Amino acid sequence: MNKEEFIKNLYEDLEIESTESIDESTVLTELEEYDSLAILVIIALMDKHFSVKISTKELNELETVGDLIHKAGL
Amino acid sequence: MRIESISYHLPNTELSNPQLLELFENFDVQKLEQKVGIKSRRIASDDETAADLAYHAGLKVLKEFDKSKIDFLIFCTQSPDYFLPSSSCILQDKLGLSTHIGAFDFNLGCSGFVYGLSLAKGLISSKQAKNVLLLFGETYTKHIHPNDKANRAIFGDAGSACIISDSDEGDIGEFSFGTDGGGANNLIVKNGAFRAKNTNVNTYSYGSGNLTSDAHLYMNGPEVFNYTIEVIPDLIKETLAKNNVSSEDVDYFVFHQANKFMLNYLRKKTGIEKSKFLISMENTGNTVSNTIPIVLSNFEKEGIIKRGNKICIVGFGVGLSQAGTVITF
Repeated sequence: MNKEEFIKNLYEDLEIESTESIDESTVLTELEEYDSLAILVIIALMDKHFSVKISTKELNELETVGDLIHKAGL
Repeated sequence: MRIESISYHLPNTELSNPQLLELFENFDVQKLEQKVGIKSRRIASDDETAADLAYHAGLKVLKEFDKSKIDFLIFCTQSPDYFLPSSSCILQDKLGLSTHIGAFDFNLGCSGFVYGLSLAKGLISSKQAKNVLLLFGETYTKHIHPNDKANRAIFGDAGSACIISDSDEGDIGEFSFGTDGGGANNLIVKNGAFRAKNTNVNTYSYGSGNLTSDAHLYMNGPEVFNYTIEVIPDLIKETLAKNNVSSEDVDYFVFHQANKFMLNYLRKKTGIEKSKFLISMENTGNTVSNTIPIVLSNFEKEGIIKRGNKICIVGFGVGLSQAGTVITF
């Protein structure tokens, strides 16, 4: 999976409106869909594709979509 | 040895999603229904306890069973009537059971049903009892802060009951257990008991705009999810191996109904067929130790779960604590 595919996965899993534009600089907490369920969705996405576990502490430190991509090792 | 009968009881007061929407603006009802899988939940009234809910469930299973034959009562709750005595003693009297029976409470949450089966099996196979009345009751909503939107949307109250009997039919198989008290703080009511008696404490906000306090329920949902997806797939493998069955040999899988998203993720991660994976939480929410009995009872009533079915049962949550087994219904 490359960075573009990662962002595509985020769109699908978080059910982000196609009108909302996301790139690596997008701040996660500013996403309209970002709520407690979205956090579970992101944890599931990282576990499923990268076997990467994110603790709540780490999640609070991950600010942008780019940080998440970096955490996934892409 | 088998589950002779199983039933549950819900309090009358309903808290539906439209009602939640009236209480909390911008509540995403559609997401709650589709992703979390909950439309409504029942709330115990101020004068209705977990033991009351279990009592009514107990009456249902005793309706067609000679209650003089019950020789042990076990009650699982984290919401006892009193610090002491054990609620099970009060339930023995209220249900009109023999005074010659054993009775005790045990304190577990989402893993409680599987632990209850294990205790009942232990008593029966060691010939200390023949017919165990296993009761469950939980009223987490009494612990939830009124402005804790997330937990109010998830949890509901319920009581449930089953009779486990010494029988040539059916089977309660081998068990796998797991405990990690290192995660105790991820699902906790901190104050009010003896470690911290003070309940006059400040509220604080957490997650996406929820309020709670140390005297109310706190759940770190993401951490509980992390733990679940880490330990439960291995627990399932171990449980199946101990029972010498493969996933294909199992007719149904019934997991603790935490939320639909988590359940579906676990199902996909462990490669369980959708048709074998039973979910029933739309009208009850997460009722802690009652979720598995509610699923078993609902699908039995619908004629889907039948005598002879092999069912893999897995409970996980507060503790943190987990347990699994395979039963022949």
